[in-house]
Amino acid sequence: METTRAILVDITKCIGCRSCEQACKEVHGFPMETEAKLSVTALTVIEERGDKFVRRMCMHCQDPACASACLVGALKKTAAGPVTYDASKCIGCRYCLVACPFNVPRYEWSKLVPYVKKCDMCAQRQAQGQPPACVEACPTGASIVGNRDEILEEAQRRIVTDSKYVKHIYGSEEAGGTSVFFISDVPFEKLGFVAAPKQPMPVLTANALGDGPTVILLGGALLSGLYWITQRRAEVALAEAQDKERS
Amino acid sequence: MTTTRFPRITLWRIIVAVIFAAGLYATYARFALGFKLATNLTDPQPWGLWVGLGTLCGVGLSAGGFAIAAAVYLLGFERYRPVLRTAVLVSFLGYMSVIVGMMYELGLPWRIWHPIVMWNRHSVLFEVSWCVMLYTTVLALEFSPSLIEKIPWAGFREFYLHWHHKLLIALVLAGTLLSSMHQSFLGALYLITKGKLDPLWYSPYLTTEFYLSAIPAGLAVTIMALYLCVRSLNVRLDLSVLSDVSRVIAPLLALWGLFRAVDLITHDATPYLFMWREETLSFWVEIGLFVLVPVVLLSRDKVRNNPQYLYWTCALVVMGFMANRLNVSITGLQASSGVYYVPKWTEFAATLAVLTAAVMAFRYAVIYLDILPKNPPRQRWMVANTAAEA
Ligand code: SF4
Ligand code: SF4
Ligand code: SF4
Repeated sequence: METTRAILVDITKCIGCRSCEQACKEVHGFPMETEAKLSVTALTVIEERGDKFVRRMCMHCQDPACASACLVGALKKTAAGPVTYDASKCIGCRYCLVACPFNVPRYEWSKLVPYVKKCDMCAQRQAQGQPPACVEACPTGASIVGNRDEILEEAQRRIVTDSKYVKHIYGSEEAGGTSVFFISDVPFEKLGFVAAPKQPMPVLTANALGDGPTVILLGGALLSGLYWITQRRAEVALAEAQDKERS
Repeated sequence: MTTTRFPRITLWRIIVAVIFAAGLYATYARFALGFKLATNLTDPQPWGLWVGLGTLCGVGLSAGGFAIAAAVYLLGFERYRPVLRTAVLVSFLGYMSVIVGMMYELGLPWRIWHPIVMWNRHSVLFEVSWCVMLYTTVLALEFSPSLIEKIPWAGFREFYLHWHHKLLIALVLAGTLLSSMHQSFLGALYLITKGKLDPLWYSPYLTTEFYLSAIPAGLAVTIMALYLCVRSLNVRLDLSVLSDVSRVIAPLLALWGLFRAVDLITHDATPYLFMWREETLSFWVEIGLFVLVPVVLLSRDKVRNNPQYLYWTCALVVMGFMANRLNVSITGLQASSGVYYVPKWTEFAATLAVLTAAVMAFRYAVIYLDILPKNPPRQRWMVANTAAEA
């Protein structure tokens, strides 16, 4: 598991040059205009919050809500870290959009054959040993990539050694942990980061689903029992009626 | 009756024609122009009217079939038997319209079969899709004798009805379990929206809440359908059965209200109950329509024993139920999504057209099949009818 990759975004180092945006658009062949929000043609954007530049992208959760929600398994957490999307499976139900606690996936609303779009951490490039395009393009080292535990250690080292940092690594606990981390010198809630639940999201539905077999067994037994009683009562009533008739 | 019937039907015909014309355009818009022009859906509000009304309400309001079937066959409530076929028919048509609605709602509807071969057991939606498939099959089988008994080949007919009768209990059992499960799973769909869904609706017990509310709502729809049959179609029914069915609705609604109250209090949602915001207002509309007013009305003999009052009370229950489902799927998610979603008219048009088609199918089924005893009774059908149910 030590080959699981992760990205660290250090907001204090971001100068808002948008090289990551451009690089991402280039590798995907998207139109190059700058966009304000994540979209089907902008899988990462720089949002300006006061004098800060905040990068948005898929968090590549360790146990992703989107993947647990997708009924056909089009979204998957890969061992290498990225959460990938298999367009050939998707039926377009958009439950992944509903489920994602960070509101990341986008849908091609204007297309007649619409698919879901989200950052895949450049899974293909990484499989060939290249860094994600956005990280490669970053001139200041605000975005870096590495093995997840090393990246976490690095983030930890920075927030401990430098007092300007908020003492929290965004992504270390959110949604049970992610593979994209943010560190900042301004409180995260001021930068538009959502206060996502601390547990892995799929846990929320696992219990309900786990109840399924129990419900079938217990419910089935209960209902059969009720049916048996009903039958018995009818028989007894019939026998009594016959008795009465005879006497 | 006959004098008022003609103009009414003509008026209805115009309305139906308008609805279908609008529905036709909506269909064109959805499939030839795409979501962007046919709907007001956006990334922050990816599920709208088609899910909230079409799927959540459609399935929930179709709960009457399993509730009545279970009451008659498993609990031995024989006095509900005369309305059994109506309840099953309403449910069957309800599920069919949900499936047709799915074709609009899915981005890639021609892949609707994917969940059959591509499994993700961790997905609530996966379980929901299987339950819908299986339970629609069960409903079709439960309903099938109404069609089969019209088949002229006596041999096949007898053979089918004989086996159907043998397997009926298994069907009812499977149907009860399947629909219980997926009425609750529809609520479970929203368990993953923790942090997004408003505290007035988010609860780890969404499953139970969806289940408990579906049964009274489904029964209310059944009562409404029966009342309309008696009023406008050539049907004979002892109306006291309606009041019998309605007797269980009030306690079920009260139970749901109680469950919801305890749930809200234990999850510290009480402060939200009295805030001046749209969500809270919608919440009280829901509670008023679905619990407070109907419970009071249904506790009165005067309402229960007057079919017309009963009909309108049931209409309140249905509206309250819809308010609840739309609150969970739309209102409750609005604040976190940051967009104000109002469905486009084409969204309404598509849903309404599907619903109208279902109502018409229901009407024809009641006219041409033996769903309810006819007035005057026709001897041959009555015989087949009793044979099927014996
Ligand atoms: S951030 Fe959202 S889209 Fe990305 S992996 Fe997590 S749940 Fe999925
Ligand atoms: S829209 Fe596609 S990827 Fe998203 S949950 Fe549905 S099937 Fe899965
Ligand atoms: S990892 Fe790849 S897909 Fe994701 S934002 Fe960076 S360049 Fe775009």
